[in-house]
This record gives sequence, structure tokens and C-alpha cells, in this order.
Amino acid sequence: MHPSSREYLDGEENLPLYYGKDCLVLLPRDPYWLFAYWEISIPTRQRFEAEFHKPWDSLQLLLRVYRYDAQGTGKESHFDIQIDPSADNWYIKAGVPNKKYQTELGCYLPEGGFRHILSSNLVTTPRDSLSDIIDENWRLPDWQARRLYRRISRSNLSSLEMIKWGIPQQ
Amino acid sequence: MVKGYLAFVFHSHLPYVRHPEHKQSLEEKWFFEAITECYVPLIKVFQELERDHVDYSVTFSLSPTLLAMMEDPFLQERYAAYLSRMQELACKEEERTAGDPVFSPLAHMYRERIDYTAYIFNEKYGRRIVEAFKELQRGGNVELITSAATHGFLPLLGIQKEAIYAQIAAGIEYYQKIFGNTPRGIWLPECGYESGLEDIMSELGLHYFVTATHGVLYASPRPKYGVYSPILTPGGLAAFGRDPETSQQVWSSKEGYPGDYNYREFYRDIGYDLDLDYIGEYLHPTGLRGNTGFKYYRITGPSNHKEPYNREWALEKAREHAGNFMFNREKQVEYYGEIMDRPPLVVAPYDSELFGHWWFEGPQWIDYLCRLINKNQNIKLITLGKYLELQYPLQLCTPNASSWGDKGYNEVWLNGKNDWIYRHLHKAGEKMIALATNFPKSEDILRDALNQAARELLLAQSSDWPFIMTTGTMDSYAKSRITSHLIRFLKLERQIWENRIDVSWLRQLEATDNLFPHLDYHLFQNLEQTVAVEKDKLAEIT
Repeated sequence: MHPSSREYLDGEENLPLYYGKDCLVLLPRDPYWLFAYWEISIPTRQRFEAEFHKPWDSLQLLLRVYRYDAQGTGKESHFDIQIDPSADNWYIKAGVPNKKYQTELGCYLPEGGFRHILSSNLVTTPRDSLSDIIDENWRLPDWQARRLYRRISRSNLSSLEMIKWGIPQQ
Repeated sequence: MVKGYLAFVFHSHLPYVRHPEHKQSLEEKWFFEAITECYVPLIKVFQELERDHVDYSVTFSLSPTLLAMMEDPFLQERYAAYLSRMQELACKEEERTAGDPVFSPLAHMYRERIDYTAYIFNEKYGRRIVEAFKELQRGGNVELITSAATHGFLPLLGIQKEAIYAQIAAGIEYYQKIFGNTPRGIWLPECGYESGLEDIMSELGLHYFVTATHGVLYASPRPKYGVYSPILTPGGLAAFGRDPETSQQVWSSKEGYPGDYNYREFYRDIGYDLDLDYIGEYLHPTGLRGNTGFKYYRITGPSNHKEPYNREWALEKAREHAGNFMFNREKQVEYYGEIMDRPPLVVAPYDSELFGHWWFEGPQWIDYLCRLINKNQNIKLITLGKYLELQYPLQLCTPNASSWGDKGYNEVWLNGKNDWIYRHLHKAGEKMIALATNFPKSEDILRDALNQAARELLLAQSSDWPFIMTTGTMDSYAKSRITSHLIRFLKLERQIWENRIDVSWLRQLEATDNLFPHLDYHLFQNLEQTVAVEKDKLAEIT
């Protein structure tokens, strides 16, 4: 927009840098990557500073990323990413399509172990291949399925993945 | 016996752009050019098909922001003024090229086109171009559908189901206000889908939506017929998957039709080519060069050397491409027909703004194609709603999260250039839900302020802002727009809680960001109390 209309209706205001509330939000970017953003409010920071007798900037912060099966019932694994205390967002290479993920922000305890600060929502990474679940009432004979996918994959943008994962190889 | 169906879906959308504070705005010109070069030529094609009793069928989505611009008296006035300037330029072009055997017929063609547009816009429909779409829908060949209110990219707003609900419900309500009926289908902005959307769409009475190819192809369980039959989602709506072949034939940079050397060259425009002394008054007042729509050259070849446009050759090419397209569809449905127990359905969605603006001959291509198919016994055009009426049993599957953007998922709208917007959009969404839930009843100024807060939030949610930031052209405009709407929202929200609404400022906002006059902020009320079906999903995210 042209600057004058901003001045006319919005005055000198800018978007806030902080909203003063703790939050950790996870978004799926694609089958392999997630994006997380967070805000840790000043009272929360002070609480942890007091607990650890350390300034916030010297805490060893990390994102612990949990992977669940597609139904979100069973925890399959987790991994940690060390993050800079000044960061407020991170792209996470989650790595596996069609899984549920959740992340926790926390810090390493001086004596070892993990102290949880915030939890995120749960997200699902999209598939990047055909589903391996087949409804028997809706099954094509294999030779016909091959005909179907061969032609679709010829012009589909993600045909490489399709060929790699989806099409029966025999 | 019909061997297969072809369903064209034309998606028409522009972000809400309206700048009364400026004499001329570059961004409003997107809208003006789209009316002149796309919507009016497409309307003309459909009207002529109807006149000639050609049995054609197309699904046409009009985004609520586009409809709101079409219905806005201020923009109608501005477009009328723009048209008369273009008419004046068309006359001057006829004079300038008089006697030139090559350019004079082209200048004449442009004058006739502009005059026709002015007739359609001013006289025939009294500046209300939506009337033309109403007429087409009544004719029975065009099925109009809606989209999310401000074209929000739903998968990245879905952290709050209420935001999705409000986007979709406000879109449906505005469509109903204008067209009187309830849309059967919805165009999900950018084909952005994630699991769970279907519950809200179904709750709101929609019957179908369209996904990218891999939205249906990678659905689970595996769909028996790929994208050549819709699937039934758990919400009870049908999902149609985009056919990859038809999109490639039109879009591919190598084989795509619009790149044919006989077609009109988009980048050679008198706005760039002629002296500023002559063309200056038809350009932006700052003297910035830009498109005028008067383009006299054909693509010619890969180099910068361009030959004059030859309308007859171009139309001949469009006819040939229509024939080629139909031939390929016949082969395609024959191929899939051998695999399927029903005639395959090829779903071919395109942006309407491709036709006429970018691909100048696109509307004629559609015209030729509809006429050819009308005489063809193997393929039939069909709308998505009419296909569902055929009542083929549909396989129950959950579509795959996807979009039709680059790389097929969310990255166009979520990357290093635009990811900062989501913390603000989500926070504003949370605050709007709190407002709507805490003020179930309101009157007068309070109600107006709540409704305006809802408008500002919806405007901030447009997928166009992060998209423009990604492409990098005009990104300062996009940043400025999203920032403004968020600031306005946050300020209103503060004033509402503190019970000190600045009424004169509120009235200014209402006059500036004036879309959806009947918008009701209650759409943002907490869903937990209203939609039982969503409860388990909500539990997951809280």
C-alpha cells in the first residue's frame, strides 16, 4: 500500500514484537519439513532464570520433536534440536511423511535430563506417495492398476516420487 | 454412448484491492485489466455458445473478494473512468496507425473490443457485471461455486477451526446474498486441503471441492480410479482431483499451448514501446511504464525479435489447439475407460485470469473447444455438480493434505520470506474468537466494531499476501497490506475490550475496508460449543 494510506488510518503503529503470552505452534510445510514458532513470555523466562540461577541467554534450549504413528496413538521416536536462545522460530526436518508430530520446547538440566517449558499442537505430515491401504471392495487387478498409474505418473508433477514409491515394480 | 466426461473449472480470484485515497492505483489496475481482458471475453464466449444452442457445461468459481470488488460502487465508477480513458486511447491508436496495412486492423480490433466491453459493462449490465454471471447460471450451462471469503490458505490457518469456519461460512453467505442460491461446491484457495476441512464444509452444506492431483491420488485408502472419479470424504462431500494431463497441455513451458509462436506476445505493449509524450497520460501518474493492453506483436520465437501479430493465424492456431486438446481427451478417456466401470471424468481446473490476459486467444480456444465437443459423441462436458447427480457409487477415502502451489504442499505460503505472518494471524484469530465468544450479544457501535474487526482479520488472512511475498514482485505492497489489516484489527480489539471505541476512526475503516457489508462476527464464535463433530479434533490441538 502507499505510505499515505497507512499514515491516514494506522498512524505510527507497528505490529507488536511480542504478545506477552507463551505459545509454541507447529505447522506442516510438506511431507518432510515442519515449521515451529514460539513466544516465551518474560514472566516464564524469569521463572526459569530463577530456577536455574542463570540468565535466559545461557540456558541450553532445545526443541524435542516427537513422532507418532498416523493415528497419533503410539509414540514412535523423538529427536532433539539445539536452538539459539534468541531464536523464535525453526524449520524442522522431520523426515517421514504421513506421521503425526508434536514438539516440546525445553532446556537441558545441568545435571542431565530435560526440563519441559512449552508443548505444541499435533500436526500430520502429508503423504508423498500412494497409500498402501487398499479397500478390498475397491481393488483394481494389478495389471490394470499399473496401467492407471503409469499414465498418471507421466504428467504428474510428483511422478518421480510416484515411480519410486507408488507403482508396483514387478 | 458417452465414453468420458470433461469438467472445466475456471477459478476467478483477485485480492480485495481498493484505494480511494489515491487518484490512481497500480493494484486496482489488476482488477480493471481482468474485467476487460478475462471476465468480459469469457462471458462473451459463454453467451455466444448459448445463443448458438451449443450444449456446454462449465464450473466457474468467483472468489468472494472478487465479487465484492465487482459489486463496489466506487470501483465500478473507477473502472468506468478507466474504460473511457482506454476508449480514448483506442481512438488515438486508430488514428496513429491509419493507413498502415499491418497495424491498423489490430488497432481497429482493440477499439471494437474496448467498445464492446464498455457496452457490456455500462449499458447492458448497468456496471453490475455479476448480473452477467447470474444470467449464465440461469441458462443452466454454468455452475457457479464459491471460495473462502478472502481466499485464505486454509491449511495454515487451521490451527483454529473457527478461522476456517468463518472463511468458508462468510464466503457461502456472500455468494447467497448475490446469487440467491446456495453453492454446491467450493474452490479451496490454492487447492489447499488438510484433513478435517471436510467436516466444516459438510456442516455448512457444501457437496464438493477440488484438490490438486495428489490430494485425491494419495488419498487413503488408495482410490481405485486415481483422479478419474471423485472420492467420497468422511464428511460426506465429494473431492475431485485435478487431471495432470490437461494442466500440462496448457501450462507446460515446453509444450503448453499459450507459448505458440503465432499467439500474441504479452510483453510487447505500447505502454513500454511508445514515447511518453504520447502514451504518458494513459500510464500511472508517476510516469511509471506499464501495460495498456494494446499489444501488436506475436511471440514469433525465443529471441527478442518480434513480428507483428496476425489475428487470423492466431485464431487458426487456437482452432488447431482446440482440436488437439479434444483428440487427446478422446484418447485419454478411451485409455482409462478400459480400466474403469464407469466413464472417466477428467477434471481440468484453471485460473480464469490465464484466459485473455496472459493467453490472449484463450477465450477463443474455449469457444472452439466447446463447439467441437458439442458435436463429439465420445466426450461430454459436465459440471462437477451434474457429475454427482449421475450417482455413481463413490469410494470412501480421506484426501491427502496438498495444494496446487509449487512443490504441491504449503511451502509457497510458508517459507523464509513470509513465515513471520503466522504468529500474528494465529494470535489475531485467537483474539477474534475470544471477542466473538465473549460478546454473544451486541448493539450499535460495539456490534459495528466487532464486525469490522472480523473484516480486518479476514482481509489479513488472504493467501495473496504471503504468495506475493514469495514471488518477490510488489512484496512491499503485500507486507503493507497484511500489516495494516492486522494493526487495524489489534487496535479495534483493544478499543472493544477497553470500551472506548473511536467512532470516527471506525467509520473511516468501514468506508475503506468495506467488503461483505452483512458480515456477522458471530461466525468466529468458539466451535467447541457449537460443532460437536469437531470436538475430538479440537482436543488434538489444544
